[in-house]
Amino acid sequence: MVGIVVVSHSAELANGLRALAAQMAGPDVAIEAAGGAGDRLGTDEATVRAAIGRAGRDGDGVVVLGDLGSSILTVRAVLDEDPHDDVCLVDAPFVEGAVTAAVAAGAGATLAEVVQAAQEARGVAKL
Amino acid sequence: MSPSSEPERVVALPADVDLHARPAAAFVRAAMAYDAQVTVAAGDREADAKSLLSVLALGAKRGTLLRLRAAGADAAKAVDGLADLVAGLVETPV
Repeated sequence: MVGIVVVSHSAELANGLRALAAQMAGPDVAIEAAGGAGDRLGTDEATVRAAIGRAGRDGDGVVVLGDLGSSILTVRAVLDEDPHDDVCLVDAPFVEGAVTAAVAAGAGATLAEVVQAAQEARGVAKL
Repeated sequence: MSPSSEPERVVALPADVDLHARPAAAFVRAAMAYDAQVTVAAGDREADAKSLLSVLALGAKRGTLLRLRAAGADAAKAVDGLADLVAGLVETPV
C-alpha cells in the first residue's frame, strides 16, 4: 500500500492532519507526520527522511505533501541527496490533498493513482 | 450506452448518518473497487463517487435520498453494492 508523508512547519499541524487522514483512510495506510524542527516551528531534513522511510514500509511507494514553500525545499533537499523513483513530492492543497491521497491509498490505488488523486484535489470546489 | 440503460438505485442515508468524513471515505473507498464510472447525486448536486472531495461537497445529511448511477462492465454490481453500503452506514463515535 502506498504511504503518505505530511510535512509541516508545525508538529501539531502535521500530527493533526495525519490523524484526520488516518481516520478516513482506514488502519492499513502508513501515514507519517514530519512537522517542526526540534521543538520549534520549521522543517527538518532528518525528520522528513525518517518519515519517508517509515511510510515506505510496504514498498509500494510514498507520496509527500508539504504545507508552505520552505517545507517543499526541505523535502527536495532530502530527495536530491538520496533520490528514489518511488517517492513523489506532489503539488496539492495540504489538507485536501493528504486526505484524498490517503483514501486512495487505502483503496489500494497505485503510486501514480495516488499522486493523481492528490493533484486533483486542487480542482474540487469546497462550496 | 444510453443513459436509460445505466443501472440506477435510490437509497436513503440512515437516519443518524451524515455523508461526512468517515462515512464518505468508506463510500468512496468502496466505489473505487469497481471499474464502472459511478455518480452519486443528492438533490440537484451530483458527484463522481470515486472523488472524496466531490462526495463531501454534496453535503448530504442524514435521511437524504442518494441517487446512484453507474456505467461500465460491473455497473449493476456497483450500484447494488454501494446502495447496500449506504443503507448500512453507521455513525461510529470518534
